[in-house]
Amino acid sequence: MSANLDVLGLFDNDYDDDGFRTCSVTGLSIHRSAENYVKLFGLTAVVALLVGGIFAFTVAMTRWEFIGLLSPNDFYVHLTLHAWNLLIFWMVFLEIAILYVGGPIVLGRRLPITWAAAAGYLMMLVGALAINFSVFFLSPPDTAPLLTAYAPLQSPPAFYAGVILFIVGAVVAALPFFLTLWQERREFPNRSLPLVAFGAFVTSIIAVEALVGGLITFVVTFLWRVDLIQWMDAAWYRQMYWTIGHGTQQINLAAMVTVWYFLTHVVGGAEVVSEKVSRSAFILYLFFINLGAAHHLLSDPAVSSGWRIWNASYAFYGAAFASMIHAFAIPAGLEAGRRKLGRGGGTFGWLTNAPWSNPVFSATIFSIILFGFLGGVTGVIMGQLQVNMTWHNTFATVGHFHGTVAVGTTLAFMGLVFFVVRTMFQRRLSFPRLASFQPYFYAGSMGIVVLMMMYLGILYGLPRRTAEVVRNIPGTDFSLVAASPLFMILGPFAILAILAGTVFLVVAVASLLVGDRVTGPEDNADLVPDGGEGDGGKPVHAYEMRGTFLICLVFLAVFVVSYVLNWYLLTELWSVGL
Amino acid sequence: MSSPLESPDDDWWGQSINRRESIWLGLAGAWSVLIFGWMSAFTRVGDQNPIGETIRVTASEYQEKMQSYKDAAGDRDGALVPDGTEVFIAAFRFNWDGTPVVLETGTEYDFHLSSYDVQHGFSIRPEHALSKQMNFQVLPGYEWVLPMTFDEPGTYHVICNEYCGNGHRTMHGTIEVVESL
Repeated sequence: MSANLDVLGLFDNDYDDDGFRTCSVTGLSIHRSAENYVKLFGLTAVVALLVGGIFAFTVAMTRWEFIGLLSPNDFYVHLTLHAWNLLIFWMVFLEIAILYVGGPIVLGRRLPITWAAAAGYLMMLVGALAINFSVFFLSPPDTAPLLTAYAPLQSPPAFYAGVILFIVGAVVAALPFFLTLWQERREFPNRSLPLVAFGAFVTSIIAVEALVGGLITFVVTFLWRVDLIQWMDAAWYRQMYWTIGHGTQQINLAAMVTVWYFLTHVVGGAEVVSEKVSRSAFILYLFFINLGAAHHLLSDPAVSSGWRIWNASYAFYGAAFASMIHAFAIPAGLEAGRRKLGRGGGTFGWLTNAPWSNPVFSATIFSIILFGFLGGVTGVIMGQLQVNMTWHNTFATVGHFHGTVAVGTTLAFMGLVFFVVRTMFQRRLSFPRLASFQPYFYAGSMGIVVLMMMYLGILYGLPRRTAEVVRNIPGTDFSLVAASPLFMILGPFAILAILAGTVFLVVAVASLLVGDRVTGPEDNADLVPDGGEGDGGKPVHAYEMRGTFLICLVFLAVFVVSYVLNWYLLTELWSVGL
Repeated sequence: MSSPLESPDDDWWGQSINRRESIWLGLAGAWSVLIFGWMSAFTRVGDQNPIGETIRVTASEYQEKMQSYKDAAGDRDGALVPDGTEVFIAAFRFNWDGTPVVLETGTEYDFHLSSYDVQHGFSIRPEHALSKQMNFQVLPGYEWVLPMTFDEPGTYHVICNEYCGNGHRTMHGTIEVVESL
């Protein structure tokens, strides 16, 4: 592939006669086939981030009714494209790349059946284009599908066809990963997978569950849309749709946690403090995380309360428990690993002396913190059957998933892209100071945006998915104008967050196109954690983890306080329900 | 060196767990069980539960129910006054059938929620306290009967919070709650 597709010198690393090279940063043995496809999927993801980011601007400037940029009809189209490009295309293209890293590259193997990677890529690309164009040029009676395409509202047939193509493409693109693991297993039947490969494997299974559910949903809905079947049921659609609608977000979660283990290790010196605990947490994800799709049906009429309680709690909070395990294990890995390198010092020295000017590191750490405090805590709270009544379809829900996806996953993936630019594309980052600043800028501004979204939803009952409601509801004197001061904070910070996203794109693209080439290991030496050999002999679990423990206690305290506050607000309401 | 990029030692399952990590596992596990227990118990002892009877219904059947409900209802300044404690609300593009309606505090009403066309969202709050709001999904084909008892008089505003088409933002209805009818 590198020979005929060597665009702009981006696919021209030096490999040995067998097609392998050794990464100077990770020490991994990387085969040309895997590396080139990681680059291809990664670059496409960045393009999707650009497209979705443009629509982020128009959407935010419409919801900030002080600006009121778009007409309602255009708003719903732009909102759709914002959602699909960022929540689906940016994420899933990069997740396929993560599978190829977590499988072939971590295991030091070539990517098998590259035709499947190529075919999957083409299908995903054509599907994504079909979705973008069919929505952008839709005409009545079709309506903008938004992310959910809730039947019986109708969207263009090409939209449903595009979704089906994209889903099939993603499954096909995952096949080389599965085959890699199968080959590894055949060759080394008694060897456990490295933790990152194991996390990628769990991610891939969760992904296939979600994708198969989505395939059933959208094939049936497509047939209904083109009048080949007459039957459509709104409750059936909702239950089926959310297998992929929320399932894709669980792919993001599992992939992101895997990336956390990967990047904290490579750039921070983290170690795995307990293989048993971390792997058990992934197994809990495997069994329980996809039950979280029920969170969307908690305020629905068509599912029983027993079904709702069981599923929304991921079966006794099995998956929330798993996330809390990772929340300890990853910072603890950093703490113990850095203490082992002799970079400890007091309770938090391992953290304060960490490489904070390295954007790969800071992006990863901010992702972990903000995902936990903003996205994770609110996800569990709004996922309680009763509290959900005060969150359902409000702007607070939008705040929740911007906490998980826009700061959590996107920030981790931005760090990963910077890492890939340096280690795989072998380019030094252009504008290094701007690059160091970018994660702080993005995490800070987007964090404020997320908080404002949540306050607006909870305190003013502000609905999501609407072009205007704060300053004006056409046809009535009533409005939610009391909420407009918070929007005067949200609007400017949304602009800053989009600016921070632009900085990311400028640095990444400039580095790829005009960045200095990495000529030897010394150019990437700053990516590797500093510190000496330490006292080596002690097992990692024997190192102090008191800093992590204190941070986790603060996290639990915030969790408990948020939980109690939400329940307090709920019990202030008039009585409802049996 | 226990790297996440390398296969672990053969005895990785037997490795000890740091004491603080064990404590954290206990705390996280206890919290998980506690919040499950609270949510589950609240369905029995709490006053706010999104739980009601659900009836399969076609749009035309629901329209007939609405019509006979309206026929029996009284009128107060152009608003419906239900005859009894059944309250019918229907969402359609782009309005709320069955509003405006006048109700009283302290009486348990059975709210019937359904849609004549596509999915909608029933989002309700009193004008005097916007943070006191609750939200329910409204589906065509399903009639959801949710008991509600208001304890404060006031004008309650219903807006749609599920995207239902280009006129979505204009869907608005009112429920007037008075001390007694």
